[in-house]
Amino acid sequence: MGGLNDIIKKQQEALKKPEEEKIEEEEQLVGFIVGEEEFAVPILSIQEIIKPIEWTRVPFVPDYVLGVFNLRGNVLPLIDLRKKFGAPSADMDENTRFIVMKIKGEDVAFVIDRLTSAIRIPKKNILPPPETYSNDDDIIEGVGRLNDGRIITILKVDNLIRREEIVPDKD
Amino acid sequence: MDDLQELLEDFLIEAFEMIDEMDQDLVELENNPDDLELLNKIFRVAHTIKGSGSFLNFDKLTHLTHHMEAVLDKARKGELKITPEIMDVILESVDAMKAILEYIRDNGDDSSPDVEIDSIVKKLDAIVSGNATSTSEEKEEIKKEESKTVGGINLEDINPDNLDELDLSSLSPEELDQVLDKLVDDMNTSPEEEEFEEIVEESAQEHSQEKEESSKKETPEEVKKEENVPAKKETSTQITKENQKKELQKKMVTTKEQTIRVDVKRLDQLMNLIGELVLAKNRLIKIYNDVEERYEGEKFLEELNQVVSSISIVTTDLQIAVMKTRMLPIGKVFNKFPRLVRDLARELGKKVKLIIEGEDTELDKSIIEEIGDPLVHMIRNAIDHGIEPPEERKKVGKSEEGTIWLRAYNEGNMIVIEIKDDGKGMDPDVLKRKAIEKGIITPQEAENMSDKEAFMLIFKPGFSTAAKITNVSGRGVGMDVVKTNIEKLNGIIEVDSIPGKGSTFKLKIPLTLAIIQALLVASQEDLFAIPLSNVIETVRIVEEDIYTIEGRSVLKLRDAVLPLVNMADIFDIEKILLPEKYLYVVILGLGATKVGLIVDRFIGQEEIVIKSLGEFLKGLPGIAGATIRGDGRVTLIVDVASLMKLAKETHNKKLVTDSINEVKKKKEKPSDYTVMIVDDSAMDRKIMRQALEELGVNILEAKDGMEALNMLKQNDIDAMLIDIEMPRMDGYTLAQEIRKYNKYRKLPLIAVTSRATKADRVRGVEVGMNEYITKPYTKEYLQNVIRRNLKL
Repeated sequence: MGGLNDIIKKQQEALKKPEEEKIEEEEQLVGFIVGEEEFAVPILSIQEIIKPIEWTRVPFVPDYVLGVFNLRGNVLPLIDLRKKFGAPSADMDENTRFIVMKIKGEDVAFVIDRLTSAIRIPKKNILPPPETYSNDDDIIEGVGRLNDGRIITILKVDNLIRREEIVPDKD
Repeated sequence: MDDLQELLEDFLIEAFEMIDEMDQDLVELENNPDDLELLNKIFRVAHTIKGSGSFLNFDKLTHLTHHMEAVLDKARKGELKITPEIMDVILESVDAMKAILEYIRDNGDDSSPDVEIDSIVKKLDAIVSGNATSTSEEKEEIKKEESKTVGGINLEDINPDNLDELDLSSLSPEELDQVLDKLVDDMNTSPEEEEFEEIVEESAQEHSQEKEESSKKETPEEVKKEENVPAKKETSTQITKENQKKELQKKMVTTKEQTIRVDVKRLDQLMNLIGELVLAKNRLIKIYNDVEERYEGEKFLEELNQVVSSISIVTTDLQIAVMKTRMLPIGKVFNKFPRLVRDLARELGKKVKLIIEGEDTELDKSIIEEIGDPLVHMIRNAIDHGIEPPEERKKVGKSEEGTIWLRAYNEGNMIVIEIKDDGKGMDPDVLKRKAIEKGIITPQEAENMSDKEAFMLIFKPGFSTAAKITNVSGRGVGMDVVKTNIEKLNGIIEVDSIPGKGSTFKLKIPLTLAIIQALLVASQEDLFAIPLSNVIETVRIVEEDIYTIEGRSVLKLRDAVLPLVNMADIFDIEKILLPEKYLYVVILGLGATKVGLIVDRFIGQEEIVIKSLGEFLKGLPGIAGATIRGDGRVTLIVDVASLMKLAKETHNKKLVTDSINEVKKKKEKPSDYTVMIVDDSAMDRKIMRQALEELGVNILEAKDGMEALNMLKQNDIDAMLIDIEMPRMDGYTLAQEIRKYNKYRKLPLIAVTSRATKADRVRGVEVGMNEYITKPYTKEYLQNVIRRNLKL
């Protein structure tokens, strides 16, 4: 009977192990290019990724707010990340995508140059943004080093747009 | 637990409704103190609230209601005459009841520490004891106690919900009669309880036998029961009760009232879905129109047409039906005003009569909720500022009692609420003077102001004409808030007044908020939807119609002079369209203010569904929201009130005549112009190039339609020479594509082709070609055509 108990024990340990390994926490991100740089956002903050569609300009907003567009009956704001990050503007091409993300409960779309890949990165490989980064508006969560040596900037989705920067105060 | 919660909710809904009704009835009672039926009704309401309150263990509420009921009971028996003073106390206790009920609603119990009832109870008791002999009161109490228990259950506690707990068959005919009486009372106060009717119907069938007997015996017993009531009144109550009972019996056999309470959220959801459907319908119609053009004369079109029109009819009907379910009679709001008017008039020592008309007029629920406060302000204002004190009225030969009319009626797609008083009216000159004193307007502005505009001054923030500040009005807040609130509902306010005769305020509000009629206009390439309710008219003018007065552009329209602003300037839209001979102007109206808005094109009138721009973009100046059009694109909806403000600023800054000519770039020499040649044959391109080079214009070349379209978007092109037969995209298609852009509507497109049949030419015109040159042609001919089109 002792043999059977041993087997059961081993089985249980075997079941436990992978979980323990997983406990080493990982972030799942989606990487994309804007301008010259690669950025990433948590995969769970992404609602959907679509090809560019026509949008409508909106008056009195900063230039990085391109306007609004219709996504299946909902009106969504469209933000140009190139302009937002101060990169030189470029025409949209067949790689351009709109990433729709949920920010403070609202869907907002961002224009990116192209998608790179889905990324799994251990949390320990994510470092706080270096001092040299200009991060005045607190939009950078950290910097991640990937196994292949790529460096990606992880964005704080919630801070990507702020109402007070877009809509001028009354008067 | 849930059952109790549900019961409590039902109780609260019912109680609030009853109290609102009671408020109104009490005010009416004050005018007709002898209306016994009314008094009975009020008594019954108090009684019901007391009964249900005690059932739910709301002691404080029961205590208060009990004492109030005692006063009403006395009045009902003719032992007490309702004077305004007594009415004050009764109304005070009704207010306390309301406060307690609100506390119950929020907290679930009636401890309501903020509501102090002892003093009210004392006052009520004083009224009761001050007028009545103690003996009759006691006797009455005893009588009441006696008649209260039926079949082991307290009569007060019998209500439709617990009726089945009661073994009706065990009751004596007399007891059954009492139960029925109680139920009749209940029904009078809560007519919409259909559940109750069902139950009574059941019991009625079971015991029809007994009832027949009991109704025979009824008269002597009733007399016994109410023996201490004066004989005359007894009969009248008797008769009404008799009638009611008969009615009830009749109702049991015939119809039940078919109503159902629905959560507002569900209706909102339904309304949203309808909105989507309306959008889809608009889109379908648009697609049909496109298809119709392309497949003209084909058989399936007829069928498609039928489907499209039936869908659009059904959608419209559905929309109206759902809108109707959200409609409530405006009486819901109006009902609280008799009380308000009474209280205010007493407080201010004025005599005021309120006449309400059209309380059945229906409005969307969300509007009903928003309209209450503005109306309160306006009525307060009418009493405080409009109606004069009695002595003053007498002096000018008016009756001492002032009158306020509150009317509601439909006018097209709008509902009009009219508040009229026969008070002292407003003097435009006085208003202007006040506004100048307060620095709201300049003396020059005052001079140019019409009387109607002067009346609108009362809606300016910081404007108040009351010489002394009362707690009713005159604190300088209120009327401007009223205006903002009404404008939020897309409504407009009109004011008219004759000094000495009175004032009339008209609020015009759309029937519903979610779907509106709009005028679609284009300013340069951008489309905007303007709520039709604010569009007074549209006109076409020429530049010569524009005058400049004191450095500002105005339009003379018939005998009015309107400020004129270019919409593109307001929204800072880049000007890319060349000015045309005619200018299109939308005359916007908001209250008495009118503004002429220059747009570049009228698109048409359309039913649009209002959508929010979301948390990040809402509240942009001049923009109320967005709508999705038939083609799936988003169009911004203009917020007229805010746009008018922006227009005023722009008007002071920029001359329209400058603005419309901004785009006229300095193109004088031929080298300022660029012509594009589109042809797949290199030789043909060369022939054309040689001809054009002699003219001295710049030249761009494209090999097919696709290439041409891309080049057009990236360059500033003044004319195009287009071959018809080309790979990838032919010349017809190219022209069609180009004409889709507002920007290129006037771009000269010249077909250069060897296809020379009449049909080809017609096709060319159809797709938007300006000229048609057939190969071969002379160099001079081509040059002439180009010169003419570029106006060289």
